[in-house]
Amino acid sequence: MKLGDFGPFVIFAAIYAAGTLGLPRISFLAYQLKIGEMASAFVAIFGFPAVLGLTLGQFIANLGVEAKPIAMISPVISFVGLLAIYYMRKLSTLAGCLVYIAITGIWLTFTLPILNPEVSSSLAALSAFAGQFIAVMVGYLGYLLARRTISSPTQASVRHVPAIPSESNPVATSGLADGGNVPNKR
Amino acid sequence: MKGFILPAGALLSISFIIVLVGFLYSDTRNWASVISKSLGRLPRDTVIGAFPVDINLTIQLILLTELLLFGGAFGMYFTIRARFALWPPAGAPILDDFIPRIQTLILISSSILIEWSVWQLKRGKDKAFKAGLVGTTVLGSLFPILQFGYEWPRLLLNGILTPADGFFGASFFLLTGIHGAHVVAGVIAYLFVDARAFMGQYSPKNHGFVEATSTYWHFVHIIWLLLFALLWQGSRILG
Repeated sequence: MKLGDFGPFVIFAAIYAAGTLGLPRISFLAYQLKIGEMASAFVAIFGFPAVLGLTLGQFIANLGVEAKPIAMISPVISFVGLLAIYYMRKLSTLAGCLVYIAITGIWLTFTLPILNPEVSSSLAALSAFAGQFIAVMVGYLGYLLARRTISSPTQASVRHVPAIPSESNPVATSGLADGGNVPNKR
Repeated sequence: MKGFILPAGALLSISFIIVLVGFLYSDTRNWASVISKSLGRLPRDTVIGAFPVDINLTIQLILLTELLLFGGAFGMYFTIRARFALWPPAGAPILDDFIPRIQTLILISSSILIEWSVWQLKRGKDKAFKAGLVGTTVLGSLFPILQFGYEWPRLLLNGILTPADGFFGASFFLLTGIHGAHVVAGVIAYLFVDARAFMGQYSPKNHGFVEATSTYWHFVHIIWLLLFALLWQGSRILG
């Protein structure tokens, strides 16, 4: 990770941690829907800094809300799931998101009854898979919207400014890679 | 342990001073030209680039010293906390987290805004860059105003929590104090960046100092997230 990637890394960590800790909690069956999960699909746009950021964000959020040490393993499981989205982004982001839901859903099915002994395994499975599905798919819709906005013709704003001919630079270039082909007008 | 902490602390302080002196030496290299321009000795349209252009090593060293500083502070917090069966200790108040939530929102907004601002600078959009930069400075300055102007006085003057209230009170004010001082330093750095931006010292090819300041700001932000999780949220549930 380059120093320039530090910004997206921190922003994703903040979105996850603050989204979980700072916003009102949304209960879904036996599971707390996490707003931060909605950012998972954006790994396909922002790449590895987002993977690391969301993992750290989950760690910080769990530091704040979870009561048992097993919850500290959750970020590692999420990291594996996020890697799936990252490596599958060129194939299909949706498939990556589904793999992420499957990985985290299985883990949550296992951990929810440990964190709350009153929750049965079947209720834990239903809550975890459905809760993760809702959160990640809402994020996926946001991702589709963002991707559409990014790929819309804003590229036109990137201008190629012709170089000014001078004594030291007699060949004026168009700013393109093969700029040397442009004839010099004097 | 003492035999390790003192040399490590001294090394940390010396490294920080060396980096700071080196940075200031590099940073002031164009000041003579800037002053000449302001006195009218240089043509008004003279473009004076900001120094240093490449600041990666400097900011990496600064972040390393910061990491050691905050690592030591958090290490102290966890060491003390581990000695208590119940945390926060009996009698410690449950802190209202309304203002810290607003502060978190401020830092997230400012982090996103400065990233956007740097991106605009790289695209050559000078007006958008300056607008983002000023917005970040304004948001950043709200954070210490809320902390030192409202939250701390509210806790101290109403007797809710003071540094004399045992380990919890002491560690709370120590950690938030160190962090708050870093936010103030960040705001001062942004004021410098703002001034230089309005002097036209940054360009798509010269933005090292802007990026370095934003990296520092993101670091301060992530430390806040840890503090928010541990001191406000975690103190309610973890026992």
